[in-house]
Formats: sequence, structure tokens, C-alpha cells
Amino acid sequence: MGVKFFGQFLIDSGEVDASHVREALHLMDTENKPLGQIAIAQGFMQECQVARVNAEQRNSDLSFGDLAVEMKLLESDQLVAILKAQSMCRLPIGQALVRLGHIDGDRLGLLLDGYKTDQAQYDVASIDLPDGLACHRVSRYVIELFPRFMLRVARMQVKVGEIQTFDCAPEFAEVRVSVPIKAARGLEVALICDLDFGEALAHAASGLDPCDLDAEMVADGVGEFLNVLCGNAGSAVAKEGHPIDLGPPDYEAELCDGWTVELAVGIGRAALVLSTF
Amino acid sequence: MTPKINVLLVDDSRTVLAQLEGILGDLDGVAIVGMERNGAAAIRVADESRPDLILMDIVMPGLDGLSALRTIKSMHPEIRIAMVSSVSGDATKAEEAFRLGACQVLGKPFDLELIEALVESVRRECDESRAGEI
Repeated sequence: MGVKFFGQFLIDSGEVDASHVREALHLMDTENKPLGQIAIAQGFMQECQVARVNAEQRNSDLSFGDLAVEMKLLESDQLVAILKAQSMCRLPIGQALVRLGHIDGDRLGLLLDGYKTDQAQYDVASIDLPDGLACHRVSRYVIELFPRFMLRVARMQVKVGEIQTFDCAPEFAEVRVSVPIKAARGLEVALICDLDFGEALAHAASGLDPCDLDAEMVADGVGEFLNVLCGNAGSAVAKEGHPIDLGPPDYEAELCDGWTVELAVGIGRAALVLSTF
Repeated sequence: MTPKINVLLVDDSRTVLAQLEGILGDLDGVAIVGMERNGAAAIRVADESRPDLILMDIVMPGLDGLSALRTIKSMHPEIRIAMVSSVSGDATKAEEAFRLGACQVLGKPFDLELIEALVESVRRECDESRAGEI
């Protein structure tokens, strides 16, 4: 259940176990060259320049390639060339498992098809996003996956409405929880709702009786749902090659700018507020 | 009677702890020996109670799950640790967990069958190692 990488899918399907995946990862570490090494091999960068980018990465959320271009140590077309070279010689986990004899090579195609079918439910169609959000692919996933996860986690039907520029926090915002998704371009995702919606969601998420839910537990339940939603949205983007880092929920979210995504919910009132950082 | 397997739950969310407590409570032969909300507490309780299995969140404030995983495995390599995370689909995080010695990475929302299968495999391993000690 949820977005998963191929190795995890194989473990969950009983095809391999964790020790096989660990062995495959070790093989991949040995064989797959990092981008900096490829850049050196192709004569685009020198060792000291790669070291400079690696050092700078400690202070930046950018990937090695994007950072090298920003630091003017690599041209954009050179980055494209080394990314292509890296993907062409990259040993993927499925092939690594085949090479180690943990998966039959003839079955790999079948297993990959099964994986694609399993993960197809997390594909997102194109929705119209305002200009400021359009460049944040993760926001598309957050908005599209929201109704699916509401149904799956809480058995609650939700429809996504209009996306408008954030004006001020609506009166119903009794519960405000946000989760930061750190990436090259960060996105703060806040779920705001009234107590009716919050209690229904927390009850469904925790399995606890509604009368056992105090205010902290309601906020925690809303935060956990948001964490699951953003984690899966972020994982989907990470699978496309854009690394993300998810922060823990903030239960005192300050709402000051961004976009409000209207939500039509069966119980109470709720909305998403997305802002960039 | 078969001895119970001892499980430690670690997640900053009370909701998740309640969820896991409910799921594991429905399984036979499982004893929950602690529920902690951060990595530092997990290390302390793991050292004291030496559970058979730890279910631990990756993203937590303070000391995160991967750092706690690294420390606990270095102190007690025999403890099986399954990481629990909404970002389990991010290969970088999941692969790091396996590299550090996690026996499983469970995604959220939870898949009950996977949790049952995990508990069953830990039970089998515990039975085998107890038999080997006799």
C-alpha cells in the first residue's frame, strides 16, 4: 500500500528478502558511478571542483548537477550529457538482483510489469495549477492524491475544488497542521479544518473511539494523515529523480501566503494551503 | 506455550502508536514492551529491554529513525528493526534503511498483511534461535 520502490515491492511480494536487497545495493554502490566521477571522466570537471560542489551540497538542497551548474563549474548541456551517460551505465536494482542470482532473469520483465501495475494508482493526470505552483511537481501529487488517500485512510469522500490565491485563514480553521517538503524548491503543505472534520479524520486514522480523542490527538491525527499524503507525494517525485526531504508536522502552522485548495468534504469543512519556500 | 515476541514501537505520532498497538494487539503472541516518541528514547529502551522487534518511524523530530537505527544496530545487532515511513517509496531513504541493517521497510498507510508477515517471520527466527540455545 502506498508508493514504493522496486526493491521494496519485491520484498513485499515475497520474491526476495531484505538481505538480498542489501546485497544488491552493495553491488550497485560498487558499480554505479556518482555524477562527479562521470564529469571528471568526461573531462568536464576537475577533482577539486567536484570536491567543492560536494562540500557546498551540505548547505544546499540542490542536486550535485544543478548545484555544479549554479556554481558555474558545469554547463547545462554538459550536465545533460553526464546524466545521460549515468543512466546508460547505471545498474538498476532489478538487474543487480538478477546478477546475484536472487531473481530469475526471465522473470524480471514480468515483475517490472507487476510493479508498474501496482504503482499505476499513484500516477497523476495533469491538472491546471496556478503559475507559482506549476513548477512544483510535488504540489500536483499532493492535490491529486488527497482524495485517494482520504478514501483509503479515512473512508471519506472528498472532492478537490478551485485553487485560489491565499487571502486569509478561513474562520473554520480550528486545526492547522503543516508539513514541509524540502527540495530544490520547497513546498509547505497545510491542512486546515474544523473540529468535526479533524475528529472524523483522527478517529479513522488512529482507530480510537471519538470520545477518547483529546485536542492534541485530533491535531496529531490530522498531522499523521498529512504526513502520509506528503510522504507518498514526495516519494512519487523522488522516483522521478528529484530528491525530497520531508520534515515533521508543525502543529502551529502560520498561514500567510500561497494558494488555497478548496475541498468539498462530507463532514465539517477543510482546505489545503500550499506555499513555497 | 510459545513465548511471546517483544515489540518496541517508536513514532512521534500518537496516532501511529495507537494504530500499531491496535494492529499488534490483534495478533497472538505479541507483547508490546514500550511505545516511544523519538530516536533517543528508542535507543535507551532498546538497550534496557532488548526487544525482539522494533517498529520505528524514519522521520521524527530530534534524533531521527535512521540515526537511531544505526546506533541500536551497532549496540545490539541481533535486534530486528523494521522502519515505518510515509517516505518508504523514496528509494534513497528505503535503501539507506536496508544498508543500516533494517529487516523491513513498511510504508504508510499500513498494509496489515505485511505487518502480520513480518511478525510471523520474526517469531520463526526467535523460535529457531531459542531451539539452537537448548
